[in-house]
Amino acid sequence: MTKSMNNENPAFLEGRRSFLKGTAYSVAGATLAAGVFKTVADTPAMAETKFTPTPKTLSFYPPLEEWNSFTELDGDDWKRGGTSRNGVQSEDNPDGIKATEYMLVPTACSNCEASCGLTAWVDLSTYKAGGQLAVRKYMGNPLHAGSRGRNCAKGYAAQSQMYDPDRIPFPLKRAPGSKRGEGKWVRTTWDEAMKEIGQKMHDTLKVGDEMSKKSIMYHVGRPNENGFGHRVPHSLGIDGYDSHTNICSAGARQGTIQWTNDDRNSPDWSNAKLIFLQSSHAADAGHYFQQAAGRIADARKKGAKLVVMDPRMSNSAGMADLWVPCWPGTETALYLYLANRILNEKGLNGEDLVNHNFVKNWVNWDHLMKDREYLAYLVEKKYIKSVPAGDTYEEFIEMIAEMYSPYTLDFVAEECRIEKRIVEKLYDMFIDAGARVATYIWRAGPIGHKGGWMIARSAFLPFVLRGAMAGDKGGVGLHHWHVISVNGKGNAATEAGVAPGKVDAWNEIAWPPEYPLSSYEMSHIMPHLLMDDEWRAKWNAKGLNVPEKLAVWIPRMYNPVWINPDGFRWIEALKREDKIEMSFNLSPTWSETNWYCDFILPVGLAGERHDQHSEATQPSRWLSFRNPALRVALEKMGWKPKDPTRATLEAHIKAGLGEVWEEVEFWANIMTHYVDPDGSLGVRKYWASKEDPTRCVTIPEWYQAAFDNLPNLKKAAKASYPDSKYPNYEMMRDRGTWLEEDNIFKPQERPLKKVGENYIAHGHEYHESEVVKDEFGVLTATDAHGKEEAIGIEIDGEFVEGFHTLTKKLDFYCEWFKEWKWPEYAIPIYPTTKEDRVKMTHIVTQVHHDFMQKDNEFALNTVFRLPYNIHTRSVNSKHLMEISQNHNPVWIYTEDAKKLGIKRGDAVKVTITDTVSGLDSGYFIAMAVPTEGTMPGVLACSHHAGRWKLKNAVEIPGFEHKLGIMGVGAPLYEMTMDGKVGTLKPTEGLNEGMQARKDTWQFKEYNKDLDNIWWDGLSGSWQNAVAPSHPDPIAGNHAWHQKVIMELAGKDDKIGDIYVNYENNMKVYQAWRDDLTRPLDSTDTLRRPKHIKRPCVPLSDKAYAVNIK
Amino acid sequence: MKADEYNMDLMKQEIENRIAIYALISRLMLVEVDETFLENIEKDERLLAFFPNYRDWPKRKELSTSELIEQYYNVDFTNLFLMHLVPYESFYTRDDQMIESGGDNPVLELYNDLDFRVELDKARVVSADHIGVELEFMYMLCTALQKALEADDKDGICELLQVQRAFLKEHLLEWTPLFLINAKRESRTPLYHDGAELALEFLLSDFEYVTEKLSQHCETTATTEN
Repeated sequence: MTKSMNNENPAFLEGRRSFLKGTAYSVAGATLAAGVFKTVADTPAMAETKFTPTPKTLSFYPPLEEWNSFTELDGDDWKRGGTSRNGVQSEDNPDGIKATEYMLVPTACSNCEASCGLTAWVDLSTYKAGGQLAVRKYMGNPLHAGSRGRNCAKGYAAQSQMYDPDRIPFPLKRAPGSKRGEGKWVRTTWDEAMKEIGQKMHDTLKVGDEMSKKSIMYHVGRPNENGFGHRVPHSLGIDGYDSHTNICSAGARQGTIQWTNDDRNSPDWSNAKLIFLQSSHAADAGHYFQQAAGRIADARKKGAKLVVMDPRMSNSAGMADLWVPCWPGTETALYLYLANRILNEKGLNGEDLVNHNFVKNWVNWDHLMKDREYLAYLVEKKYIKSVPAGDTYEEFIEMIAEMYSPYTLDFVAEECRIEKRIVEKLYDMFIDAGARVATYIWRAGPIGHKGGWMIARSAFLPFVLRGAMAGDKGGVGLHHWHVISVNGKGNAATEAGVAPGKVDAWNEIAWPPEYPLSSYEMSHIMPHLLMDDEWRAKWNAKGLNVPEKLAVWIPRMYNPVWINPDGFRWIEALKREDKIEMSFNLSPTWSETNWYCDFILPVGLAGERHDQHSEATQPSRWLSFRNPALRVALEKMGWKPKDPTRATLEAHIKAGLGEVWEEVEFWANIMTHYVDPDGSLGVRKYWASKEDPTRCVTIPEWYQAAFDNLPNLKKAAKASYPDSKYPNYEMMRDRGTWLEEDNIFKPQERPLKKVGENYIAHGHEYHESEVVKDEFGVLTATDAHGKEEAIGIEIDGEFVEGFHTLTKKLDFYCEWFKEWKWPEYAIPIYPTTKEDRVKMTHIVTQVHHDFMQKDNEFALNTVFRLPYNIHTRSVNSKHLMEISQNHNPVWIYTEDAKKLGIKRGDAVKVTITDTVSGLDSGYFIAMAVPTEGTMPGVLACSHHAGRWKLKNAVEIPGFEHKLGIMGVGAPLYEMTMDGKVGTLKPTEGLNEGMQARKDTWQFKEYNKDLDNIWWDGLSGSWQNAVAPSHPDPIAGNHAWHQKVIMELAGKDDKIGDIYVNYENNMKVYQAWRDDLTRPLDSTDTLRRPKHIKRPCVPLSDKAYAVNIK
Repeated sequence: MKADEYNMDLMKQEIENRIAIYALISRLMLVEVDETFLENIEKDERLLAFFPNYRDWPKRKELSTSELIEQYYNVDFTNLFLMHLVPYESFYTRDDQMIESGGDNPVLELYNDLDFRVELDKARVVSADHIGVELEFMYMLCTALQKALEADDKDGICELLQVQRAFLKEHLLEWTPLFLINAKRESRTPLYHDGAELALEFLLSDFEYVTEKLSQHCETTATTEN
């Protein structure tokens, strides 16, 4: 207040004592009072005391023993003062506070890959009063060792996804007589669909020849289960599995496989002193976002530092101790710089910085030093000056110290376009943390670039040298140590009782001969391969038997049309009924891909299905068990399905969710009753129940058997459910999660298991007389099938398990890689001159700054995930779409924008051009946002947005309601395509589209706010369609980043417009394939090295054998 | 007339004023002012005297009451009671500064014990220990005292005085001085500045008054308080 209002006013003070003196005020108190009290208690004060009106802590959770019935006060009622004032609502007390009885059914999130625990809160009160059984909310599962009761926005979104107004309510079939993509659908039933599909699969397999084993493809987007999907083609006896991995992580996996023969690394964030993130992925959005971020926060609380290397200032980079913006694709140079200094410098006290104890024991230097021929080759390549005289460890260290000495501060600053002070700071932080540096090398670099795998390969080198790859506390371990995969191992419950045998065919559509080392299937070029007659003819002439079509293509929770590069090529292939004879998508939501399929079969989301799911998020082995909440609740209340093998489907129909099913029951049913009803194909027995072979396995049977593979789980279940027939299943149904083993550190040092005279390794027993030790200490044995296996290694006189490689050590020198035609890259290496960058093009990014000549030429960074969006499934979650709004601007550095006259919000034209073929792909129009948050010369635009649809809703003959399509997440577009050029133009924002049908017929109670869809979704564009496929010549992954030319959009251009020359895109893929790969030739006898993982169907020696003419 | 009886009669006169002032300050702190409320203050010179700065504020002559409400008073109210200050007892008394909106709130327990029910939705507050609600509770207790005085229910009078004293001592005076000093400092209109000053002065004086009455009429109970 101002001084004029004097607090010391004496008159006022005098007045203080006169409040009550004198005559009464003229105004009665009652006239003045607000009157918020009622003095008569008309309800019992506290009917019951079981409620916790205000939990003492935020982490309060109902105890497990109350999960079957937990009563909670209604959230909307708190404003009325709780039960203290109003009592609990009842017939006698209708104004009381509503209290809802819930059953908490544990499940796991299915949105990203992290598998955080959830509980579905099933409303029993409404159901018992005659209403519909429904899940009111999803919360965390406090029992989950990985997620610890916490979830990110995507976890809680399971609710809005479940009761999505545009949920697909029943199976749909392309209308007879219509073409794929016309958008005409009829209603069908699961049985009709299974009959038609089953017949087609049956007829295909019945032929029984090699080609029949290559004609069905199961294409899995988000597996979120550990191995069940693999079993589907495996049990069919076909080589027919395509994963999405090569647009996701195949680059990082390749680098990891070369070092460790493991799929990926697995850090111990919690105990690290330095958290080293390459990209924002681990802590912002992806593998394994919420869990990783929580563990990283724990470590930082204990003093750990955080470094984020990313050309873009992500959320993680923004809160890091050091942001390292590095020119995309040149990260290898930076890692080798760290190696150089570690090898050539000393610590503060004059000590060596190399952890000799670890490197000497656990790196395969001895194999390299013995290979004199290869050392001579390194001299020839000018990597080293001369072959070392001897083969000692010391000479090895001396040799690599010389080899990495060219990666100097000057070089790295120039190559990575990074300030020297940042590089030096990074080095200091790296050294200060000792062996406690944790990292997760996954997205960004390794999947963005030609040779991206070498980024992962080189990244691990400084970690190895410092001893941080020992799998010890605070360092980096390996994936298979920390994960549980039993979802496909319910074999004992089946009539066969054992796993299906190996498959005798090699499918060139998944594993083309140009890519013998590709980390995973080449699924991103599936349509290209199917439509490339010249390519097929070439290989058939060389003696292969390449499929020219697929009889059945089965995407599962996958939307390749939208998320894969070159979307128009996908549409082109999917429209061709001579190339893909039948297709059906097991999909929980509408998607761009569904539009071009023959059947859309609605399957369940997080709380509507069964899966065992585990991820390596920490040094322990935990698992999640996904439950269909409504089914579990109904069964616990005594409901029984008519057919126990279809209980999930029946429960969902009963509870009004729709005809939504799950894969486990679906596949068991279709295989047993439709694909191989009489067992003549040899498929049925793998799905028919052992208990009753006339039907397929049930969920309790399957999971009882699957979980029997986990000794600790099995023991605990038996103790907790002594009278149960399916204790494993029941315990997991009730808890939703299990910690099988904790604190797993340095398992490579575990003594090799020996019982009596037999060594035990990889589930086999080897008599000690059969075990041979080679000159490097590697113990090999021959198994019953005559297959020689490395089973352990001698370290310091002890026989221990070792790593998963052939050498049982970490392979600095990857000998098999040399043998498979890539000797120059068999060690971590990177060119240091422009001339070498041309020669070593396979490991130089297609967006290297060498290629950027003009002010408007940029590297486009596409590989970053939005924290609140996840590929396809989240598209129609109101909750998540309100946050994201399909918005996806192009980030441009402020000075770059100034030079080009670009301001915030301007529409810009981004033209994609390929640096291998020199061809243009077309352009997309997007919104520019100038920012200091991306480095000069590098644009950023996530490839996770730009959803579209061609109709707002479809009419289903005979069904009274229209089915809405992605109403809150994808705006309406117009498409043209003529086989060469495709275009897309936005025509209506999703707010407009939603207004027309805001009064939804489906899940009304959850969707009263559809008139409040205020976002139009028109500020993102479908850049993936413009991007050509860039198959990496070695890892096989799509190299996501693009060279682009940026300019202000023309006056007729609208944000969201795209123009694609997909005829050129086909040529770009061919150029990458033909100019860069080293295909199989007449010298090869195998399709691929047998020791590295070849997901996901086990193949026979016959399948591996090859003879190229 | 005995001194005791004299005091009783005096109390009957005084209670109306206590009721009026509690009603006034609770209303002021609970909801935004309206024209009627302001008129009620202005038409009683003795009440207006409690708002000296407000009384002399030149803006009152320049703008209409509705303009003052919209442009000044409501802005100040929002600032003081919704946005920047936290007018809840539990915020001031709990170590973690959390507002206790549930049944564990001791103030709520007290209301319940005495069969008083706060209509939070009507009051538009998140918890029953809001300053406006607590002041209105005192208003209700004074109204009850008035009835007891009229009925000459000496036990009731003593009991109510005792409850009033305890509520003032254990609740209102535990935290409102701090809040009201803050409110006075943060206020941007003479209305709320004077209102905060009035409430502070009155509460202190009322505590002395109630203590005095207790010692005069209900000696045995008054001394057990401390």
